[in-house]
Amino acid sequence: MSNRIEIFLTLSAELTAFSRFDLLGTGLAEAYLGTLDRVVGDDITDTLLAAFVALPPPEDSTRSQALRATILGNELLGDVARSLTKLWYSGTWFELSYAWTQRFGPKPADATFVVSPDAYVEGLLWKAIGAHPAGAKAPGYGSWAYPPKIPAFPGSSTAKSEAISVHLQNAGIMS
Amino acid sequence: MLLPSESALKADPHAVAGSTDYDIVIVGSGISGAIIAKQAAEAGKRVLVLEAGTGVNRSLVGYDDLLTTFYSAATKDNQSPFPMNANAAIPRSPQLRKLQAGETDSSTYIVQSGPYVSDTTYTRIFGGTTMHWEAKTPRMLRSDFKSRTIYGQGLDWPLSFEEVEEDYRLAEREIGVSANVEDQTYLGQTFPGDYVFPMRGLPLSYLDQQVNNGIDGTSVDLYGRTYPLKVRPYPQGRNGIPNPAYDGGAGYRPIGAVDTHQVEEGGRCQGNTNCVPLCPVQARYHSGKTLAKAFQMNGKSGQPLVDLLSQAVASKVVIDPDSGKVSALEVKVYKDAASPEHETITVKGKVFVLAAGAIETARLMLSSGLRSTSGLVGRNLMDHAYLLNWALMPQICGAMRGTSSTGGIVDLRDGPFREKQAAFAIDIHNDGWGWATGAPTSDLLELVDDRNLYGADLRQGLIDRISRQLLLAVMLEVLPVESNRITVDPQFTDALGNMRPVLSFTVPEYTMRGAAYARQFSRTVFARLGAQDHTSYDPRDFGYVAYEGQGYAIRGGNHLAGTHIMGTMKTNSVVDKNQRSWDHENLYLVGGGSMPTIGTANVTLTLAAMCFRSGRDILKYLH
Repeated sequence: MSNRIEIFLTLSAELTAFSRFDLLGTGLAEAYLGTLDRVVGDDITDTLLAAFVALPPPEDSTRSQALRATILGNELLGDVARSLTKLWYSGTWFELSYAWTQRFGPKPADATFVVSPDAYVEGLLWKAIGAHPAGAKAPGYGSWAYPPKIPAFPGSSTAKSEAISVHLQNAGIMS
Repeated sequence: MLLPSESALKADPHAVAGSTDYDIVIVGSGISGAIIAKQAAEAGKRVLVLEAGTGVNRSLVGYDDLLTTFYSAATKDNQSPFPMNANAAIPRSPQLRKLQAGETDSSTYIVQSGPYVSDTTYTRIFGGTTMHWEAKTPRMLRSDFKSRTIYGQGLDWPLSFEEVEEDYRLAEREIGVSANVEDQTYLGQTFPGDYVFPMRGLPLSYLDQQVNNGIDGTSVDLYGRTYPLKVRPYPQGRNGIPNPAYDGGAGYRPIGAVDTHQVEEGGRCQGNTNCVPLCPVQARYHSGKTLAKAFQMNGKSGQPLVDLLSQAVASKVVIDPDSGKVSALEVKVYKDAASPEHETITVKGKVFVLAAGAIETARLMLSSGLRSTSGLVGRNLMDHAYLLNWALMPQICGAMRGTSSTGGIVDLRDGPFREKQAAFAIDIHNDGWGWATGAPTSDLLELVDDRNLYGADLRQGLIDRISRQLLLAVMLEVLPVESNRITVDPQFTDALGNMRPVLSFTVPEYTMRGAAYARQFSRTVFARLGAQDHTSYDPRDFGYVAYEGQGYAIRGGNHLAGTHIMGTMKTNSVVDKNQRSWDHENLYLVGGGSMPTIGTANVTLTLAAMCFRSGRDILKYLH
C-alpha cells in the first residue's frame, strides 16, 4: 500500500479528533504505525487502512455510520482501532481483548506497554483536558490557581470552558 | 547545589570494615539519618551512613533515570520510578490481594498476616521515602501530644508540644517549608513572635477554590459542637517564593537540586503534579539535599567527615553481653542489584543510629533477637488510614494540574469528639480520582472500550469526565494498639537471607467510627457542592473493612509509626524522649517508629524535629 503513513495519520486524526498537525507534533507517528505493524502485523494494519480508505468521503453523512460498521464494529478491526486510539491518547499500547486473541490467534508482541518514555509525555489526553502529563511539561509555578485552558476543536462544546470565571482573589497568587 | 566530585564516589566496603574512627554509624539515608549525619558533621564527628539501595540517584543522571523509568512504566503506581532490587525490596501496592480468614500471603515483600491487608509503602533507596513523599508538612497539634490525658485515648508523649516547638522550626528550615503563618493558626495553633515560614505558601489550586466556594461559611455539627468548614492551604516541603522576613529579616535561600555540577533544577515548584512518586525537578525536598551539605563538611585533615556506603544492608545488631552496648553491625554488601551475591562485613562505631523507617528498623531489631525489656519492638504499628471519596463537580475544575495537593479541610483535626472517634484531615487531590480509580487512564479505557466513543465525542467526553474530578482523601487518626505489629519469621527471607517483615493489623474500631462519619461528612460536602458522588467500595478490595453494616475500602497512608515508641520508662516504651534505647545506651532508634501517637499530621515534619533533638543528645553522649 502506497503512502501508508498519510493514510495512518488521517485515520488517527478521525479516531482522536486531533489534527494531523497535532499528531505529527508528537513526533511519534512513525513509531505508532511501527507499533501497529509489530504487534498485530502488517497484514492486519493494511486491512485497517484499506477499510478506512474505502469509507464514504468526509462530507458524506453516512461516513460516521460506515466507520462504525466497517471498522469499530468489525470483529477483526474494532479492537485494533480502539487500541490505536488509546495509544495516541496515552502512549501505551493496551493488550487486545481475550476474545480477539482467541478468535484471531495470539500475537507475541501483544502486551500492555509504554511505547517509549516520550510516548507517555506526548499522550494526547493531557492536551485534551488542558493539563500536562504528570511529571512532565510543567506549566509553571502557581499556574494551578487559574482555570484550565482547554483547547477548542471542531465539534467541541467550547461554551463550557469559556464560562469559567476566574477567582484570582482566592488564589493567593496576586498577593 | 554543588557537590564536590569526590563525594560522588562510593566508600570502599573493606576500608569501612577496617575503620575504627567512626563516631556514629547510621542505618538509612532518609530524612532521619540525614539530619543526624549533618548535625554530627557540623560538630566535627566522623559518620558512616549505610544505605541498602544502590545509591545511583545521588547524581542528577541517576535521579533522572528514575524519572525515565516512571515515564516508561505501564502501571504508574507510587513506587514505579524505583527499579526492582531483590536485595533491598520494597512494598508495591499493585501486587496485593484480599486475604481469606486466617490466611497469610508471603508473595509480596511485606508478608501480610492480616486480617487487614495494608498497601503501605516506603522506599529503600538513597534518600529513603523522601524520594517518594508528597511533602505535606503540618505540625502535630498541642492536644496530639497528650491524647490520653485529654480524650482518654491513645498514649501521652513524654514530650509536650512546647518542648518540640523549636525543633519544628529547625525541621521547617531543613525541609524548606512553604506556608503562611496566618493560614496555619486554625484550631488554636500558635507560632512564636514574628515567626514566618522559610517560603510563602503555595497558592490554592483552582479546584480548591471551587470547593471552597461551595462550603465556605457552612458548618457541620458533631456531638453538639459546631465546626466551620473552609478549604485551607497545607504547608508544603517544596520550594516556593522565599519569604524575605524569614529569620528576623535574613531571608531564606532555597536548596536546589543535588548534583555534581550546577543545573537548572531545584528551583520553585513548577506544577508537575507528580510529587508522588517523584518530583522531576527536585523542587520538592528529599534528604539528599541535607546529605549533600553533610558530604561537603571536612575534618581537620581535609578529609570528608561523612562516608556513604551504598548497597549495604544492615542485617544484625551485635550486642556486647557485658555492657549491653552495641558493639558492631553486621552488614551485607552486594555488588549488583541483579544478583544476591554479597559479602558480610562488620562495622564498628561509638554510637549506632537505626534510621531505616518504622518497619525496617523494627525488622532489623527483631531479626537480631532484640525485643527490648518492654517487649514492644515491632508493636503499636501505626499508619494513617485513608478513606477515599470521589465525585464529579458540576463544572470544569481543571483536575490533573498543579502540585499534587495544595489544600484541604482540616477543621476536624481536633475536638471533644475525639473521646469517641478518630479525628481526620482531608486532602483535596489535584490529580483527580487517580488514587481511587486509576484515573485518567481508567477513564480513557472506559470511554473508548465500553462507551464506544471516538473522535470529537471521545475528546469532549474526556474533558467532561476528567476535568471535573474531585477526590477527598480523608486521613484518619489511628491509635497505638499493641497487637498491630511487625514480626519476623525465619521461614520468610529475602534474596540476601535477611528476614522480611510480617505485618499483622486490624483497623481499630475508633478509626472505623471516624471513617463511618467521614463518609457521611464527604456526602454532605458533595451535596453542598452539587457534585455527583461516584464513590463505591468493592467487597473484594484488599483493604475492605466492614463496620456496622457498611463496608469501606481503607488505604494506607505511608505514614508509618509506632514500632519502637518513646515513653517515660523502659517498661512502657522502647526509647526515651531523645529516641535512645532504654536497653542499649549507645543505640538510637529514630524516626516515625518512636512516635507514640500520630494525630492527623503527616509524620515527616514531626520525626524530623525529633531527630534534631536526638542529634543533640548523641553529641552530648559522645562528649
